Amino acid sequence: MIDNEKINPDVEKEVVPAGGPGEEMHLDDARRVKVLSPGMLVFKRFIRNRLAVIGLIILLVMFIFSFFGPFLSTYGQTQVFKGIGSMSKEYASAIYNEELRYSISEGETFGSAERAQFLLAVGKNTDTFTYKDAIYYFTTEGEGVYRILQLDPVAEVLLGIYKPMAGGTVADDLKAAYESAVKKEQKSFNLNGITYRITPKNKAAIISTEHDVALAMLSVYDAYNQANDSTVASYAFKLASSRAIAQEKAAFSVGSQLFTVRYDEGQATVLDSTDKEFAEVSNIIVRALDQSAFLSVDFKSAIRQSINDRLTKFTYTDENGQSVDYTIVRVNKTYNIKRETPTELIRTFEEPSAEHFLGLDNNGMDVMTRLMYGGRVSLLVGFVVIFIEVAIGVVIGGISGYFGGWVDTGLMRFVDLFNSIPFYPMVLIFGSVMDALEVDPMVRIFLLMAVLGLLGWTGVARIVRGQILSLREQDFMVATEATGIRTSRRIFRHLVPNVMPLLIVQATAGLGGIIITEATLGFLGLGIKYPLASWGSIINVASDSFVMTNYWFMWIPAGMLILLTVLGFNFVGDGLRDAYDPKMKR
Amino acid sequence: MVEKQHETSTQRPDYVLEVKNLKQYFPIKAGLMQRVVGYVKAVDGISFAIERGKTMGLVGESGCGKTTVGKTILRLNQKTSGEVIFNGKEIFSLDKNELRSLRPKMQIIFQDPYSSLSPRLPVSEIIGEAVKEHSIVPDSEYDNHLDHIMKSCGLEPYHKDRYPHEFSGGQRQRICIARALALNPDFVVCDEPVSALDVSIQAQIINLLKDLQDKFSLTYLFISHDLSVVEHISDNVGVMYLGDLVEYGSKIHIFKNPLHPYTQALLSAAPVPDPSAKMNRIILEGSIPSPANPPAGCKFHTRCREVMEICKSVPPQVREVEPGHKVVCHLYN
Repeated sequence: MIDNEKINPDVEKEVVPAGGPGEEMHLDDARRVKVLSPGMLVFKRFIRNRLAVIGLIILLVMFIFSFFGPFLSTYGQTQVFKGIGSMSKEYASAIYNEELRYSISEGETFGSAERAQFLLAVGKNTDTFTYKDAIYYFTTEGEGVYRILQLDPVAEVLLGIYKPMAGGTVADDLKAAYESAVKKEQKSFNLNGITYRITPKNKAAIISTEHDVALAMLSVYDAYNQANDSTVASYAFKLASSRAIAQEKAAFSVGSQLFTVRYDEGQATVLDSTDKEFAEVSNIIVRALDQSAFLSVDFKSAIRQSINDRLTKFTYTDENGQSVDYTIVRVNKTYNIKRETPTELIRTFEEPSAEHFLGLDNNGMDVMTRLMYGGRVSLLVGFVVIFIEVAIGVVIGGISGYFGGWVDTGLMRFVDLFNSIPFYPMVLIFGSVMDALEVDPMVRIFLLMAVLGLLGWTGVARIVRGQILSLREQDFMVATEATGIRTSRRIFRHLVPNVMPLLIVQATAGLGGIIITEATLGFLGLGIKYPLASWGSIINVASDSFVMTNYWFMWIPAGMLILLTVLGFNFVGDGLRDAYDPKMKR
Repeated sequence: MVEKQHETSTQRPDYVLEVKNLKQYFPIKAGLMQRVVGYVKAVDGISFAIERGKTMGLVGESGCGKTTVGKTILRLNQKTSGEVIFNGKEIFSLDKNELRSLRPKMQIIFQDPYSSLSPRLPVSEIIGEAVKEHSIVPDSEYDNHLDHIMKSCGLEPYHKDRYPHEFSGGQRQRICIARALALNPDFVVCDEPVSALDVSIQAQIINLLKDLQDKFSLTYLFISHDLSVVEHISDNVGVMYLGDLVEYGSKIHIFKNPLHPYTQALLSAAPVPDPSAKMNRIILEGSIPSPANPPAGCKFHTRCREVMEICKSVPPQVREVEPGHKVVCHLYN
């Protein structure tokens, strides 16, 4: 309340020509002093505050960046950048076969119950086993190769008495052959080209013929030519080949066909009569991970070779002449064969480059562009929320202060009520409710603004009320009553302009706080939702410590923007407060 | 207390304002329920009348209720009881619109020229706002009226666009006076208009007020605690103590022949601008009692040097000791 301009020597003086020519002006003539409105004075004081000007410049830059930046950016807010990259993908797996695989002779059955009995017998080291009425016998052809036969009893011998099974009589030559075999302690004998087997049953012995049922072995067969699949899968081929391989024979025949065997480490290759590869026998199972993919026998062979050689990577050239590198990763007993596959990849966490000044984020979106759009949201939220807060605060505070009495008491208790709503729990609940309702991200922004505004107006209301209460008792307000000015004019022409400075300061300083709140909510995942961005939600990726330590460009720019903006608002707020303070002279 | 006894023999004077047994109590609220536990008896039944074109001075020490009287007369406070008759109308019986149309006729000039001007309005609006509001002059004459008033109050027309902070205290008080006078009032309450100003400015303002009184034929209620100022400007003087008007009379009566011990003490305390003059000071012991709990009997008895037994129990009655000179004291019974 000091006559600023008069005692201020360095204010530009302006000679106001008054009172006509010839009238002499003195240095202390009041008319020489330039007249400034309170608004201009405030502006002048504000401009002289260097920190406030810096704050104002920061804010201007932020606004240009956020509101005009997106027009200049060639990228969209939610544009995802992809690139072709090589990716090691699991392609096939290989495992040493440890389970017996059964090839069942045509027309026979050998179900899981029989298999269980068989495995028990193998374990007990006996060569016969029964299941239901059937008697089975098996021979070990080689390591891991078992030939399972079913016995068809012909007769039972008990103390020299022959009892035919199927009725009729037992031929004498059979009796003679049996007795001679018993004498020689043989378990089987041959008669007329038929092999008979003697098996004990309690005190009796049973003479029976036999026929092939199944072959149990650890090896797997892969036919080189798909046309030969049926042959390779046939019982006769498997029996002959497995027997030959078990005994490491060089050749074997199935029917009229002659096959030779070439032995490699861990696997054997069956060649047909023309020395062409016919089938591959190995105890390593190779499977493609993708069920639809077909693995050629050559490829399988290469894998087996590599596994046997304990190699960790190999190169396979397919029939089209394409060389592909594979790596073998052993996981317990399984070997995973990975292939370098060209894939369309989202370019996540890409370092800053000339193309993307601040790199790409975890979703392959341009960080710079998202910062611009995020700034829009953050600043807009700040302004809308402060607007709501001030609007509600001025109305409630104004009514409370102007009318006083029980209206004041009631409204202030209402303010107390609002003040005692815990802010973060409320917002947390609100956030999860919106999550549950799957609110559209855009709608969510506006709801968020409304909630923040509704929870935050009490401070403004209290300040306005306090200010109006004190203004109401000022003599100039009594004077308006004495001069009979109408109520509306008293409020809007006398009270409001005097509350305005405080409000502007309060709102400016409050903006920083709201931007912080919005960022906090964004960081907690309660604010603006993907794919829309806000500065807070951009920083959210830094909650992963790996991202925080390795990708600085993900969160430092957003953090700096928040920091600078809040700092800017605080500087401007402080500057305005000082500028409005009548005790400040300049 | 002081009852105005109308002279029946002579013609009744033209009173702008008559105050009859005005009481203004402010409730003291306490506790959670804001229960009224007592009253501050700021004005405890005073009566006086002011003739048109005259100035009545109202003196008394701080807190005796002078300002409250001024504000209640203008119905800026709600009275507790009594009557305030302005230009023949009981102002507390007026409804809102009647009161509003009467407002321009009675104005007030405040003590503090700093808080009484809205800091965010230019001078032209401060002065002219109510002129427009009440259409005091036709719109075509508005500017002339404003210039005329400002000039009368010692302000220059180029001050119009300025804001209160650009003026000194004396100039601000001129703005306040201009605001009051722009409404062409009949009656102005001057609520210690010069006590916030330095002495040279005080003289300017007092003289301005006197000039304006002649020019616009104004009636003043001049509230002050400065006896020399009151002596200079007033025609009649009332002395207030603790909400009561203890002595009332013409300037000559009060200053040459003070009857009430309180008036005597006040006058003896006034500084005389002559260092060699012998002063016969009457020292009042203690401070003014609380108006919430005034002493029984004569309110002044706790500090009076001529206190008698009767003073402590019986409230004194008004006595007209000589024509137009009334006093409320047991000494004159």
